[in-house]
Amino acid sequence: MAEALTNTVWFLPLAPLVGFLVLVFGFDKVFDSRNSQKNVPEKRIGWLASGFVITAFVFAVLQFVALLSLDGHDRAVTKTLYSWIPVGSLKVDISFLVDPLSVTMILFITGVGALIHIYAVYYMHGDKDYRRFFSYLNLFVFSMIILVMADNLLLSFLGWEGVGVCSYFLISFWFDKRENASAGSKAFITNRVGDFGFMLAIFFTFQAFGSLGWQDISHGASSATASTVSIIVLLLMLGAAGKSAQIPLQVWLPNAMAGPTPVSALIHAATMVTAGVYLLVRVSPLLEASYDWVPQVIMWIGLVTALVAALSAMAQTDIKRVLAYSTISQLGFMFVAIGAGAPVAAIFHMITHAFFKALLFLGAGSVTHAMDGEQDINKMGGLSKHLRYTTPLFLVGWLAISGVPPFSGFWSKDEILAGVYNNNRFAYVLLLLAAGVTGFYMTRLVLKVFFGKPNYTHTPHESGKGILLPLYGLAALAIVAGILNLPFSKDLLVLEHWLEPALEGGFVKHLSFGGGTQWVLGILSIIVGGLAMFLAFRIYHSNRFGSIQKVVEHQFFYKAWHIDQALTSFVGGKGNRMFQKAADFDTKVVDGTVMGVASNTKKLGGVVRLFQTGKIRSYALWVTLGAVALLVYFLIRAL
Amino acid sequence: METAVFIVAAIITVLSAFGVILAKNPVHSVLMLMATLFAIAVLFVAQDAHFLAAVQIIVYAGAIVVLFLFVVMLLGVDLAENLRVEPIGGQRPLAIGATVATAVLTILLIIVAASDSSKPESGDLAGITQETGNTGVANLGRVIFTDYVWAFEIIAALLTIGVIGAVLLTRRAKQQEVEEEVVEKEGGQL
Amino acid sequence: MTTLNWGSISSMLVLFGTAILVVTVASLIKSSKKDLLVQVMTALGGLGGLAAVIIYWHRVSSDGAKLSFADTVRIDHLALFIIGVISSIVFLSALTLKSFFAREKLFRAVTTEIYVLILLSATGGAIMASANDLIVLFMGLEVLSLAAYILAASNIRKAQSQESGMKYFVIGAFASGFFLYGIALIYGATGSTKLAQISQKLVSGAFVDDGFLLGGIALFLVGLLFKVSAVPFHVWTPDVYEGAPSPFVAFMSSAVKVAGFVALIRVLGGALIESAADWQPIIYAVSIASMAVGTLAALVQTNVKRILAYSSIAHAGYILIGIQAATKDGFAASLWYLAIYAMLAFASFSIVAAREGAISGNSINDPNHIDNYRGLASKQPFLAVIFAILLLAQAGVPPTSGFYAKFSVISAVVDARSYPLAIVAMIIAVAAAFIYIRLLIVMFFTPADSSLLGGATMSKTAFSKTTSKTMSPITQLDASENSDATFDKWKKLGANKLNLAVLTLAAAFTIAMGVYPAPLLELAQSAAQSLV
Repeated sequence: MAEALTNTVWFLPLAPLVGFLVLVFGFDKVFDSRNSQKNVPEKRIGWLASGFVITAFVFAVLQFVALLSLDGHDRAVTKTLYSWIPVGSLKVDISFLVDPLSVTMILFITGVGALIHIYAVYYMHGDKDYRRFFSYLNLFVFSMIILVMADNLLLSFLGWEGVGVCSYFLISFWFDKRENASAGSKAFITNRVGDFGFMLAIFFTFQAFGSLGWQDISHGASSATASTVSIIVLLLMLGAAGKSAQIPLQVWLPNAMAGPTPVSALIHAATMVTAGVYLLVRVSPLLEASYDWVPQVIMWIGLVTALVAALSAMAQTDIKRVLAYSTISQLGFMFVAIGAGAPVAAIFHMITHAFFKALLFLGAGSVTHAMDGEQDINKMGGLSKHLRYTTPLFLVGWLAISGVPPFSGFWSKDEILAGVYNNNRFAYVLLLLAAGVTGFYMTRLVLKVFFGKPNYTHTPHESGKGILLPLYGLAALAIVAGILNLPFSKDLLVLEHWLEPALEGGFVKHLSFGGGTQWVLGILSIIVGGLAMFLAFRIYHSNRFGSIQKVVEHQFFYKAWHIDQALTSFVGGKGNRMFQKAADFDTKVVDGTVMGVASNTKKLGGVVRLFQTGKIRSYALWVTLGAVALLVYFLIRAL
Repeated sequence: METAVFIVAAIITVLSAFGVILAKNPVHSVLMLMATLFAIAVLFVAQDAHFLAAVQIIVYAGAIVVLFLFVVMLLGVDLAENLRVEPIGGQRPLAIGATVATAVLTILLIIVAASDSSKPESGDLAGITQETGNTGVANLGRVIFTDYVWAFEIIAALLTIGVIGAVLLTRRAKQQEVEEEVVEKEGGQL
Repeated sequence: MTTLNWGSISSMLVLFGTAILVVTVASLIKSSKKDLLVQVMTALGGLGGLAAVIIYWHRVSSDGAKLSFADTVRIDHLALFIIGVISSIVFLSALTLKSFFAREKLFRAVTTEIYVLILLSATGGAIMASANDLIVLFMGLEVLSLAAYILAASNIRKAQSQESGMKYFVIGAFASGFFLYGIALIYGATGSTKLAQISQKLVSGAFVDDGFLLGGIALFLVGLLFKVSAVPFHVWTPDVYEGAPSPFVAFMSSAVKVAGFVALIRVLGGALIESAADWQPIIYAVSIASMAVGTLAALVQTNVKRILAYSSIAHAGYILIGIQAATKDGFAASLWYLAIYAMLAFASFSIVAAREGAISGNSINDPNHIDNYRGLASKQPFLAVIFAILLLAQAGVPPTSGFYAKFSVISAVVDARSYPLAIVAMIIAVAAAFIYIRLLIVMFFTPADSSLLGGATMSKTAFSKTTSKTMSPITQLDASENSDATFDKWKKLGANKLNLAVLTLAAAFTIAMGVYPAPLLELAQSAAQSLV
């Protein structure tokens, strides 16, 4: 039965791909006898797109069932469609790897994806490019499925680039505003840097293992030299940092909030940005085989990102930017987990984070909807009176991300903290601090948006059922997802057992302390989180501690530590000038004249006088100089 | 004897080549060019390459240089360009430098090559002059129609292109077509 | 005795014969259908060349390479692969040209000649591809180039075109001189112009560091690197491409370059493979310079044709990477890249030609200015989407063909352990993405009306008003009923369908080769295997 079920794995990417094609080519119009030309009802388009994603989810569940019917160590099925690159020494297939890790990923990607699609059906109501929006979304889901299901690095890279392209297009979706277009290109450019690392890693991997398959890499990891493996891991980390917005490549994510809210929720919170985490978990055996300091590097990058981003989030005034910095920070937590040898915790947190962050983003969408597009939290306040359904839903997200038990965020965050405590006590303290700051800025956000005096004149209205429905689903998941991996007894660590075969030979550090210490750590994090939330309450509700508020909302934090500014001023100023000079060399010096053909022709006129422009002579000169250079080189060789 | 001929002819070649670029009057330049080509023909004769010498004189001196003269005449001999104006700064020194460098490098490379013990063997084409009892031209003909018959055939394509290109580039729009075009200017967009 | 195996050169004969037939038929017929007839014949000529290639591919597979004409012609998989590419481009060119002629009235008188020149130029390319002798190679190069010079100058009403043709011709003749000197020196050193014999002589080891040979290689390389417009022999490219009529630029940047590269591969990878250590460093340096200069210069251009011209210089650098590796895999990667690049360049310049036509009536000085591509996605969505696919492929984004093209050449040098070259190539690839994303942003994310820039607000009502006329790029694939006036005019000419079909084919090819590259890869691989 498992065999038959895993054969259906190809329907997973096929469904959203068909959706994309149908929307692009307008096949759905064919079935519409009344309006064969235009004006296909919006909802039909939206539901069609959602339907394809729901279909994909169904097939994801089938894969899950298939794996359940297999024994633990047999749970890795490779399905090959055809040979992609069959010649030469490099052989790569279009093939999927169905194993616990990929199935876990695909379940929450398609699940959350379907919910967000449904949300978007209502949220994007009235947009002129409704169809284009959904075609991009479907294409995104398709690429994401390729990314996580691929059984080798190269195919995974294909999905990796695909999600990237969809992301840029969706960030720039509302391009009537110039910032949005530039936000898209910023994301593109930053990700190119990361992709460079990924590409290089592919070449090195092939050199080291003679194959790009995940399983070959896992098996070969222990026999490869530590230096090669370390280089590969660091290059992959560069790629992961680009996609998952880790320092120093985090600059694009806050700007990416220019995209529509469902995009922020789906791509820039729940799924795409976690691809880096997935990648590093996938190559976990390489981490094991690399030098000891390599995982440490990953951990510290994650830690610094988690802290810096959390401290930036507490000063933001745009509701979506708060959540964006929060996402960066939470992704940092996941990298810390990987670096500390707790990949299960990373995946666990990825799942819970997908639920509560998507919930928060969609809730924020509902809020801005009610505020007629206003995103500045200083102009909100007291919304709890008007938004009777959104408010409690958003509060669930708040409690989950702040780490209040028994909401899901508490369990996953605690597992990461335990993993770090196991590894490095100092790092633990810093991460605990970051967790505290998380509670602080989320409380600030909630208080400023939903409570206090209203700073607006009109009467906000609650969103419709269509928008709220997915929120209920996500809220339920955000509450209960903790049961996936409860630390109380070995039997309750469901996720850990489930992922065990996929992480065989991986970089996993078992906890060196017992349950007692874990209780202490848990209580400690509750205390720290509680204190931070209480402090935020005092500042933003009771209006105490004005001086602290000033520090917290300082420009330094508001501008995200000026990292972005520094980079931009370099690229835009000094760097750009250097670059322009280099480029001018060819157009001005080599061509001999400043302007192109047209201007010269106009000035001088006539073909005969062409030679006066001197361009041909300068061309001949360059050819001759080139020839001289070649001759010099050969002369030196011959002597 | 051979050396003497070479030295004299080589000196004439180089000097008249300088004359081509130094002469102020274009007609003088062309005449200098002819002198260069003649001197090179002498060099060919000295190498027993009589056919090449003949071709050199007939094709270059006879046809090409005369064509140059026609062009010079048509454009007007007195239409002197102001050669002092340099469109690109430092072009001349650069050009001179590049030329000298190329010459020196080529000579050096050849000297290096000549100092090698391994002399080039007589090549495929050597038969043209070496085979006894026949004139060079006959051998040349044989080689062209046997070993190099394909290259020879390709000349057909080159000539075709020449003819067609001449037709195309010298064609001028007929008056009627020009008028038509003015009328249809707006409609003629892709 | 010299064997004349006419059958083996059938693809060249088909191309050349069609050219002659076209001239003859066109001069006999006066009917108004002449243009159509000539077009169909040219297209059939391209297809015929392709058919001959396919037939011979199998024969060569079973019997091995066919040598004829005193071993000066060598029909092997390499030759057939390239002739196949060139013939396909002839076929596609023939299909796209009609609307161009309709637009540029002047061409009405000379359409026949244009088709003939394209066929003859392709013949030259085929001769180069199958040349097994340096003299034949030179003859092929001249046939190829001479026709291209005339094509560049063929719009005799436009000074730019004339100027461009003139420049191309003068500087091309200059480079041919170097090429010929190079051949003479190589002959002087090895005593043969036949590639097979040169390679045998080199194997014997008598020519290590031979000055004649090295000088010959240097000058020979100058000539060919000029043809493929590699830095520093690239200076003519942007100007010539900018001035020449766009449809012919499409042909030049694809077919002519392909022929130049195959000559490089054949000589460096065949005859001179023994002295690879001599020429590898040169290709190394030239390749890096081409990628860097092409990319940097493309970034600051404002003319789309110049952007594409510089980007083609950068592509030349990438193709050279595979040659630099000097391994069978490297040559295969370069050949594959070449086939992919030919299609990309051809289609991109064809789009420029189409776009140029749509706006040539406007009073804009430079019809190819990047501003004319603003909001193309809403005006001509189909064109914009195809151009986007082509640009993404040029940027090397999967799953397009361009990704694996870049990937394969880089992986070839990684295999050959030239790590610095691989890393530089990848860094430049990152930078090169800016070129294409810039065009994409202009087409997709810039409102066509410049007054919208800056002042627009994002509130939904505001923009549903302003954009009620504009359409989304993807959804309006069938937007020919669109009210856009220029598009209507294009349609009225009746030729647009064919152009669109060709462009669609190019885009489909680009995607298909990214998703399922295996068949073409195998062809490229066996082509590389056939190197001596």
